[in-house]
Amino acid sequence: MIKQSLLEELLGVAMSTGGDFAEVYGEHTHNQNVSFVDGKIDRIGDNVLSGVGIRVFLGERTVYASTSDLTREGVLACARSAADAMGEGSAPVSIRLTPVSVPDRHPVKVNPIDTPIARKTAILKEACFAAMEESDKIAQVQGTILGVDHEILVANSEGLLKQDRHVRSRIVVNAVASENGENQSGGCSPGRGMGMEFFDTIDIPEVGRHAARQALTNLRADYCKAGQMTVAIENGFGGVIFHEACGHSLEATQVGVGMSEMCGKLGQKIANEKITAIDDGTIPNAWGSVNIDDEGNPTQRNVLIENGILKNYMIDRLGSRRMGMPMTGNSRRQGYTYEPTSRMTNTFIYNGPDKNEDIIASIEYGLYAKEMGGGSVNPLTGAFNFSVREGYMVRNGKICEPVRGASLIGTGSRILQDIDMVGQNLATGQGVCGSSSGSVPTDVGQPLIRVTKITVGGR
Amino acid sequence: MNFDAVKNALIAEADRAGLADYEVYFMESSSVSTETLKDEISSFSSGVGGGVCFRCIVDGRMGNASSELLTEEEMRALVRRAIDNAKNIENDDKAILYEGAEHYATVSPVAVENPDAADLKATALQIQKQTYEGCEFVADGTQSGVFSEKIRMELMNSHGLRLSNRVAMCGAFVQAVVQKDGEAQEAFDFQLGLDQNGLQALSEATRAEALSKIGAKEIPSEKYDVIISAKQAYSLLSAFSSAFSAKQAQLGLSLLKGKEGEKIASDVVTLVDDPMREGCPMQTPFDGEGVATYRKCVIEGGVLNTLLYDLATADRAGVASTGNGQRVSYAQAPHISPYSFYLGAGELSEAELKKRMGDGLYITEFKGMHAGCNAVTGDFSIESAGYTVRDGELCEAVKSFTVAGNFFELLKGIEAVSDTVKFGLPSGFTVYGSPDLLIRGMSVAGK
Repeated sequence: MIKQSLLEELLGVAMSTGGDFAEVYGEHTHNQNVSFVDGKIDRIGDNVLSGVGIRVFLGERTVYASTSDLTREGVLACARSAADAMGEGSAPVSIRLTPVSVPDRHPVKVNPIDTPIARKTAILKEACFAAMEESDKIAQVQGTILGVDHEILVANSEGLLKQDRHVRSRIVVNAVASENGENQSGGCSPGRGMGMEFFDTIDIPEVGRHAARQALTNLRADYCKAGQMTVAIENGFGGVIFHEACGHSLEATQVGVGMSEMCGKLGQKIANEKITAIDDGTIPNAWGSVNIDDEGNPTQRNVLIENGILKNYMIDRLGSRRMGMPMTGNSRRQGYTYEPTSRMTNTFIYNGPDKNEDIIASIEYGLYAKEMGGGSVNPLTGAFNFSVREGYMVRNGKICEPVRGASLIGTGSRILQDIDMVGQNLATGQGVCGSSSGSVPTDVGQPLIRVTKITVGGR
Repeated sequence: MNFDAVKNALIAEADRAGLADYEVYFMESSSVSTETLKDEISSFSSGVGGGVCFRCIVDGRMGNASSELLTEEEMRALVRRAIDNAKNIENDDKAILYEGAEHYATVSPVAVENPDAADLKATALQIQKQTYEGCEFVADGTQSGVFSEKIRMELMNSHGLRLSNRVAMCGAFVQAVVQKDGEAQEAFDFQLGLDQNGLQALSEATRAEALSKIGAKEIPSEKYDVIISAKQAYSLLSAFSSAFSAKQAQLGLSLLKGKEGEKIASDVVTLVDDPMREGCPMQTPFDGEGVATYRKCVIEGGVLNTLLYDLATADRAGVASTGNGQRVSYAQAPHISPYSFYLGAGELSEAELKKRMGDGLYITEFKGMHAGCNAVTGDFSIESAGYTVRDGELCEAVKSFTVAGNFFELLKGIEAVSDTVKFGLPSGFTVYGSPDLLIRGMSVAGK
């Protein structure tokens, strides 16, 4: 991407106005998305991103400059503009880089970018036609097959020089069921940090059928009643509850500047003792895994909460300086135009002591959230929200009629105490998390859990 | 490579490939921003970027590919990829490259240069100081920032079209954090432009809003009359704006399909799409396909006059494009989006609107719109906060409740709107606006 000698020169220029640390991040990303709608291949998005981002530190101050101009003049101008924004002067700084190869824990067999489009359209159509065939009430099916080949380079003034490659594949199917002038939707969107071989590991028509069944279920559902009730949240993407309600509040982005309700709580009991929560960027080929983070540190398995006790935060380099704590391999960014910050990778509540059937049986009146949608959080107050994509009322320990249009709201610190049953069917779901350093792929996960009381937004 | 070099490389490769119909869209941008923390500049960012999208018609189908790696080799690859992509497209859209309009509007002159870095830093520090000053409750974590960006785009095609435009925008934001009575709260607001009086007011108002949230109460679940404040109303409009896309309608993904000419909203509802709105920094006289843009009333007196069309959807419907085939970035093929898209003002002041409501809720915060709104069904259920209103007067702060409903029903239920339209931050050429909206009997879930 960029020669070592030029990287050394860039770091020297970046440091020349008094910075105490400098970093060059280079990126070459090829995205290809093939989309299906109305029974046909409708669009193909094909884009190459290419550029560098140069960051300079002085204590807890940072300067960031990026450019897509990779000529020698272009990148030197970028380094110069970062240096000029940091301070004055031109003290020469000599940097020697030592290239280190990165062990690949996430091997890829078939790069999706090198795969003929016809192979992708065949997979996509198999899933989408399966959705269309599920019922004549399925009025529309949209699908996309995504392939990403993301090459990165990180060099810094401590001599680090590493390169890595993240390949990802995903299929997304959304179905709309329609009856009497009313639309309802359902979706399914599995993905992995794998190449095209990922599609050999899943039941492709089932992706489409799942989306269609969810849309049909919502079509016969009535609006969810509003109010506080007991809620059981299923595994997989249900883990978005931990991601929003707690995960973001454990990022150094927030904690390092005192903007989290989790500040100063290390070692304290912040959750029910049945809760152990982990962020693990090392899981082979998982959606949120990478070999090294975007500051060049190896990802690791971080136990965030153990039996209800807060054990660790997720910390990047700036957060490490602010908090006086070690980095945890959680620095991430969408691409070179973003300054990195602490982010989640694959984050999940671990299996607990309760049997899943006991959890449902314990609920006299409440909601079973079988599948969750996205959500958001204010880490300062812990106030979070997320939507329920597929839900059912529970009465006398039995799952009853489907309900739609529900959302769940609460505060992170309270819900962590109110999760009082944790089941044993841990599974993950794939999401794309948005924050100040852009959109990054993250896995969320959990087994079936019970929340004693939470506000259900309905009508 | 500059635009001319890129264009020439692409044209040469297109000629070699025997292409007769092709288009080049080029965009370059530069931005600077800075943020403060406590009484210091904590970060400063600058970016220079740009890229090119090549589209071509092969056997009647449109293919495209884009890149920001502007090398001769990549330009050759780009043409090959666009051709390959065209060969895999199956839709029945008529592939059209526009020949150009007779007349295009003139955009307001823009500031060509970004503000000086030193000026940006000084302004950010000044805003931060104003936010802290004279209020003991302002806490660390409070941030102020200033941002500036300029964009230039060029569009040419093999049918003789040659268009260019440049836009620039700068502004400031405040995220005020306050600590009082053992509780932390925050508020965020922004201002377009760096008008000094406005910045002082921005600091004070944002801080006051954060403080007003301290001690907020929870409310019982029931039906309430509500006023959705302008800023939340335009967020709601944003979440459901895809319903006004002719593409979504033609695919059956919008409940507005087949509703043109019908009454879909109450009499007081006007919805305007204006690409050249005065005061908007992101004006564009042409869309991403080169079609001349123009102001239109999408809803007038509650009647849906038109959906938003690009060339392909207009061809399918037998109408003219409304000039809404927008490109948010060089990397995106034209996609139907609005420009300044706003609900029109009414007669009542914001205070008079509250008087008209009498008792109810004034909603000043919607959160998680991306998750809580479904544009296909129209359903929403959104985390909210605000104030109670009694006898038309703002009373105590309330929080931790949801407001749920259906966007299409809500349009019919808007009883009155205030006389001031407020706008959000532009994203691409799109910016949403709304006055305060009075709606009766909304479902609220609280304690």
